Amino acid sequence: MLRAYIWIYVAFLYAPMAIITLFSFHSSPSLTFPFEGFSLRWYEKIFSDANFMHSLWNSVIVGAAAAAVTTVLGSLAALGLARMKGKTKAVFGLLAFAPVGLPGLFLGISLVILYAQIGLPRSLFTIVIAHVLFTIPFFIETMRSRVEYFDLGLEEAARDLGAGPLRTFWLVTLPIIAPTIAGAAILAFALSFDEFIITVFVSGNETTLPLLIWSMMRRAVSPDINAASVLSLSLSIGLILIGGLIVWYQRRKAIGSRA
Amino acid sequence: MAADAVDRKKIVGAALAAPTFLFLLVFFLIPTGLLFVYSFWLAKSFALIPALSLDNYTRALSSWGFYALTLSGLKNGFWTAAFSVVLSFPAAYYIVYRTRGNLLFYIILVSWFSSYLVRIYAWRVILGSNGLINTTLIQLGLISQPLEILLFSPFATILTLVHIMLPFTLLLLVSSLRDVKAEYIEAAKDLGASQFEVFRKVILPMSYKGLVGAFMFTFVLAAGDYVTPQFLGGRDGMTTGIMISNQFRSSGNWPFGAAMAFLLLATFLVVYFLFVQLLNLLKLAPGRRFHD
Repeated sequence: MLRAYIWIYVAFLYAPMAIITLFSFHSSPSLTFPFEGFSLRWYEKIFSDANFMHSLWNSVIVGAAAAAVTTVLGSLAALGLARMKGKTKAVFGLLAFAPVGLPGLFLGISLVILYAQIGLPRSLFTIVIAHVLFTIPFFIETMRSRVEYFDLGLEEAARDLGAGPLRTFWLVTLPIIAPTIAGAAILAFALSFDEFIITVFVSGNETTLPLLIWSMMRRAVSPDINAASVLSLSLSIGLILIGGLIVWYQRRKAIGSRA
Repeated sequence: MAADAVDRKKIVGAALAAPTFLFLLVFFLIPTGLLFVYSFWLAKSFALIPALSLDNYTRALSSWGFYALTLSGLKNGFWTAAFSVVLSFPAAYYIVYRTRGNLLFYIILVSWFSSYLVRIYAWRVILGSNGLINTTLIQLGLISQPLEILLFSPFATILTLVHIMLPFTLLLLVSSLRDVKAEYIEAAKDLGASQFEVFRKVILPMSYKGLVGAFMFTFVLAAGDYVTPQFLGGRDGMTTGIMISNQFRSSGNWPFGAAMAFLLLATFLVVYFLFVQLLNLLKLAPGRRFHD
């Protein structure tokens, strides 16, 4: 019975997305059954829309930049956390998680005030900062699950054999944690790519894909929103799957080489 | 390990964490502080006047509208958290005790990372008066007029928020159930406990903190969500969250918005406190012995 329940649960989660996907291929603008046939017209419409292409490109740039910054900061922080003890560890861990424990609304309005106060005009750059703030907690949590099991003795062994700190990091630490970093970085990109709640406040005149979809949603229920949504959806789901596969494959290889 | 080696490890740890700490200081702690400072400022004809005034707070607290909007946001949060925890618990149980791999867990989590706006939009398509449910019901001859209550109602908001929050609640529940080892459950069953007794006397007390945490996190995030009620809640769906966000978008009153944000945060803390007290009072909370 529990088995049946879990499949209903999953179906409930994915059903709305499946419906949107189905109707994005609908040959008529109607969003109701009976289904009148398949067509790619809404995709053609969206791809020939300069606004859409521009927002998509902005989202890719912001996502890549946010993921890069998050990867550097988050990896260092996760390695730092593994070396911390007691109170320092608890306080820093809490601080690093806090940004996602609050509704995005609070982060958005605080950042707007900061930007106004230091006179930083809103742009893609200010969106990237906001996204890093939002993705760092997820990145660190993902890394922690791996780094907590990391044997610091391996690093000590390398040091005893005469390797300097940088060499130790490059030859011992990095190869071990690299797959996890790659997976977490892709996750950060996907989170940034989908972020809307905070972005609204910090975007100024720039649009990202979710902002464009929102402005389309506000105008009317129109079938090209389906196509735009499905494209955005499949891009992030595709990326997450690729990230997952990389991590899975690397781990399997690591297990294989040990045996 | 020698004492200086321990010290060195600590210093290296702090050095590695320093850049992230600086980032969070500049873009999280300081902005939160600024938001607090702003809440005492005044806005007069689009100019901000630094001040130390409680006007914004008294203005919010003396209007009935503010209480009504806060209550409506809290209701959204409460029902979303309640449904999310109840619906996700069996799924979390299944994932922790009945599956070996994590595939199912990942399938569920993927849906969370990828589609915030799309899901809000999808429910509008499904629930609208020309939407899937209404047209299907009409075609089946079950109703003659579209059910208007489906869209632009608390029902639509809560349904969508539950849909958005479910995977997040599940994630928290799974991590708290992982602390309840399967051996304990086996042992209880061997000693003759029924399914219900296992749940009430073993799982519930041992995962209590995680359950309360899952409920509260879901509650806060759902009560603070301003997009879903704005798009699906209709005229009566207005919440404090929407009002705060409006102050910061068009030519709004930032200090007033900041004050309302802190009042909302304070409300969350009060709700948390009352919730924990209520559980204690109803003797639903396990004793201290489970949390050493």
